[in-house]
Amino acid sequence: MNSVPVIQPAAAACEACPAHNAANLLRLGVNVNDCDYVVALAGNPNTGKSTVFNALTGLRQHTGNWPGKTVTRAEGAYSYGQKRYKIVDLPGTYSLLSTTLDEEVARDFILFGQPDVTVVVVDATRLERNLNLVLQVLEITDRAVLGLNLMDEARRHKLQVDDRRLARDLGIPVVPMSARRGEGIPDLLRTVHEVATGATVCNPHRLQSEPAGLKRAVAQLVAQINAVYPGLPNARWVAMRLLDGDQRIIDAMQRGELGDLALRQNLEPAAQAALEPA
Amino acid sequence: MSTVMPTAEDILAGAETLRWSAGVNFHEQLVEAIYTDAARLTDRAVTRPDSPLRFDFDRTVDKLVTSRWFGFPLMLLMLATVFYITIVGANVPSALISDLLIGIIHPLLKQGSAALGVPFFIDGLLIDGMYLGSAWVVAVMLPPMMIFFPLFTLLEDFGYLPRVAFNLDAIFRKSGAHGKQALTMAMGWGCNAAGVVATRIIDSPRERLIAIITNNFALCNGRWPTQIMIATVFIGVLAPPGWGGLVSALAVVGVAVLGILITFASSFLLSRTVLKGEVSTFSLELPPYRPPRIWQTIYTSIIDRTIIVLWRAVMWALPAGALIWLAGNVNVSGLSIAEHLIQFLNPAGLVLGLNGVILLAYILAIPANEIVIPTVLMLTALSAKMAGVGAGAGVMFDAESDAQLAQLFAAGGWTLLTAVNLMLFSLLHNPCSTTIHTIYKETRSAKWTTVAALMPLLLGFVVTFVVAQLWRLVAAG
Amino acid sequence: MAQALLFILIGAGLLIGVLWAFRPGSGWYWRGKTQVEMTDRVRTEDAVKHVHLSNLRGLQPTLESLAGALQVTGNEAAAVAQSLTQFGLAELRDGQLHLQPRGVEAALHIIRVHRLWEQHLAEGTSVSDGEWHAQADRIEHQLSAQEADKLAAQMGNPLRDPHGDPIPSHAGSLRPQDGLPLSSVAVNQSYRIVHIEDEPVAIFSQIVASGLQPEMELRVLENSARRVRVWADGCEHVLAPLLAASVAVRPVEVQAQEVAQRPLSDLEPGQASRVVSISHACRGLERRRLLDLGLLPGTMVYAELRSPSGDPTAYRIRDTLIALRRTQAQWVRVE
Repeated sequence: MNSVPVIQPAAAACEACPAHNAANLLRLGVNVNDCDYVVALAGNPNTGKSTVFNALTGLRQHTGNWPGKTVTRAEGAYSYGQKRYKIVDLPGTYSLLSTTLDEEVARDFILFGQPDVTVVVVDATRLERNLNLVLQVLEITDRAVLGLNLMDEARRHKLQVDDRRLARDLGIPVVPMSARRGEGIPDLLRTVHEVATGATVCNPHRLQSEPAGLKRAVAQLVAQINAVYPGLPNARWVAMRLLDGDQRIIDAMQRGELGDLALRQNLEPAAQAALEPA
Repeated sequence: MSTVMPTAEDILAGAETLRWSAGVNFHEQLVEAIYTDAARLTDRAVTRPDSPLRFDFDRTVDKLVTSRWFGFPLMLLMLATVFYITIVGANVPSALISDLLIGIIHPLLKQGSAALGVPFFIDGLLIDGMYLGSAWVVAVMLPPMMIFFPLFTLLEDFGYLPRVAFNLDAIFRKSGAHGKQALTMAMGWGCNAAGVVATRIIDSPRERLIAIITNNFALCNGRWPTQIMIATVFIGVLAPPGWGGLVSALAVVGVAVLGILITFASSFLLSRTVLKGEVSTFSLELPPYRPPRIWQTIYTSIIDRTIIVLWRAVMWALPAGALIWLAGNVNVSGLSIAEHLIQFLNPAGLVLGLNGVILLAYILAIPANEIVIPTVLMLTALSAKMAGVGAGAGVMFDAESDAQLAQLFAAGGWTLLTAVNLMLFSLLHNPCSTTIHTIYKETRSAKWTTVAALMPLLLGFVVTFVVAQLWRLVAAG
Repeated sequence: MAQALLFILIGAGLLIGVLWAFRPGSGWYWRGKTQVEMTDRVRTEDAVKHVHLSNLRGLQPTLESLAGALQVTGNEAAAVAQSLTQFGLAELRDGQLHLQPRGVEAALHIIRVHRLWEQHLAEGTSVSDGEWHAQADRIEHQLSAQEADKLAAQMGNPLRDPHGDPIPSHAGSLRPQDGLPLSSVAVNQSYRIVHIEDEPVAIFSQIVASGLQPEMELRVLENSARRVRVWADGCEHVLAPLLAASVAVRPVEVQAQEVAQRPLSDLEPGQASRVVSISHACRGLERRRLLDLGLLPGTMVYAELRSPSGDPTAYRIRDTLIALRRTQAQWVRVE
């Protein structure tokens, strides 16, 4: 392979530098010239994701009590702490593992766009189902914030959700909120800012319950992947997708896109900037 | 590991070997592992109430709205209320807008252009054609949509609509469709284009196509006025005095019900013929009830649905208005183009129990069903050479009274058969161009757009033809 | 006037009909024409497939077996063998057909397309299993290698077809069918079905009728010269040893539990139960949907509401109310 020197975490050199992949984002249809950070908004259908999006951007996208409302991807912008943020509302999905179009859109954006922060909005009253998606997102990216939405509903159902314990277990910041009433939005803005600027560093939860056979297979592939793409942040996830025969990932490997992602992680921010087209 | 650096191809080959040698389904193991972790994390973070709640609002409402005795009556009551509010509520603003755009602004524009000495041709094309056509669409379309969509959206935000799909799924399943089609159909009663967009909630490809193709059989807001007018003038008068209103209302409801039956029949046929073998699954989540936010709902549903649909309709009505005016005013060898076309279409129209005027009106009014009636009236007056009726050649108008209408139709040679077949044809014909455009945008398929456009038209021809032949047979015998 | 119009309409109709029939590529006329050219190619391709599949079973095909497989007379089979030799696909030695490398390649392509298409029909359509084989037999002569690759990619590069037969890889290698015949395995052990031999059809259809499917986990209760009894999918299945020999299995690490099961659709509103498995007869999008909803072994499911029209029923699954139709709920096995 190539002889790129393995430099230890770029974050150490520049805490506040954007981590997003401008070239890939442009290919995905997002122009990042007019913003400092890119935030992806993911979540299950009908968790109030669009409401959060509207609350952040002031846009009025219709949000109905229907699973699966956002079919196309919406985009908005806001400023916080003298930084300009672009926020992309991804289609609501239950999972990123099946092969529906919605899931592919969401998955590709998080994997190849490498957003600075991925906010996963979850329904506090249905945490288990929602964590299914969160755990998948955390296998792809380690720059995530959990928006624990619909806390008012949870209170109404007399559910107590321990957000601190959840944050500790998941290894990412958790923001309790009720987006419909505007509660928690300022906290969310601040937390996203902290993760984007590197003030908060996540240490996300990784899957633990795989059967022995799967674990062995993943470990074996990860060793191979790390040898070819040192520093690829989501080698485990890539291994799992390859074991599922996911053609998009196979293509990305054959075309060298994965190599690009790994390379970016290993370069100095200055060199990284030079790689990206102006 | 060997000293040679592995490559991407080595990794892929390795993955392939692992997949093969494991002999188990990694996908399912992974899904299982993720949910196991999720369940463990949830158990650690969430404390549930020790005893079940004494009063669980959601469960109580669900038991009521899906109960065997109250489920269906509640649904009908809700639907009837929405329609009642829409129809009654739309009358006043509709008349106001019509008075403003057609009664006040139109004459003002005419006076203005006369004062400026604008040539007859440009004045007619722009003001009598394009302006009047789109003013008509706005006046007829806007008020009901501004009432219907917000009401519908409120029910949606509350979470009631998925329960309707739940209640009705059995009927739709039998015809190869999805319960959520009940809602896209109801949306189609407001506007077919909006109904087609609403099919996005159906996540099974086959059922979604069925819902898109059959949405046109939901009698839309632009077609209700046609039905009501024809029923009043032709069918209401057959009833004993005092009963006319009820009888004509029943006739209109009958046509709408016929539309529902045809929706089921065509869904059944589609799912067993052209769409046989397309992948099909069912999933329906019943979300928790949430208090709707009334003002925001009204605001967004007007922006989201009404304005977008109205804008598209006006964009199509502008050229249509121009065409209608031109057809009435450009003369070729002594007769206007419209009259030539009417004469040409008349034989075919008579075979179908209609006439040339109606066929031409439906061709010219493809952009919006709202302008069918004004166009029919204008063309009838034109071809019957009636003086003193309407506002001149190529200028759409509405009748002042039912008596004037009856007189006009009599002059045009209309019979009861013409009226009945017009009501049928109004239900069964190609969708308006806004809807066709929307179908194409949603399906991204020229093939399915063509099917959706031509199937109802073909059905309309067949039904009106059969009715006309039977009618004449009975009348002759 | 009316008559003239009628003539014009009829004339236009006829003209459109004729144009339609001669429409290049897919018109009736061209289709009929290519049909004649097709048959020769189809026979050649069927012949190499027959030879290769026979080789895989350890048999050496002859002209007679070829005639039987193609359902033609001996003379015609000889003519086909002749053209195989001519194209350098195979050669005839001592009355036996031997494939050349090019013949193997051609055979693998045909087998790949056939099995991919069966998998596609099983996973991506609602075509019933009885029609898979016949449709795939037609499609196998129509797809190019690129189209086959695209189809495979769409499905996540499946390794096996719905019968458990290995699908030849893009590079053109066919992994040998592995697994032990069910008739030869030990009692009281758990296995997973990897393959069910789909020929002869009479035996295959009996196995399918017994309810066994590839990927099912089973536990052997009895294995004697008289019969093979297994526990799978929540009930007992009894097979004749001859049938069991057509089922290939592999040992599994985790022992299958012998628990009584019933379909989820048996639950009345107000009842609850724990999921044991999703039947392997449920495939493709439908299966992935149920998995994504969280219907996994061990999940508690509460039946809550029944539609006033009797179907569907709403179940509370992981705190969410999900309506499932009876046909779907039947796939889900609960305690």
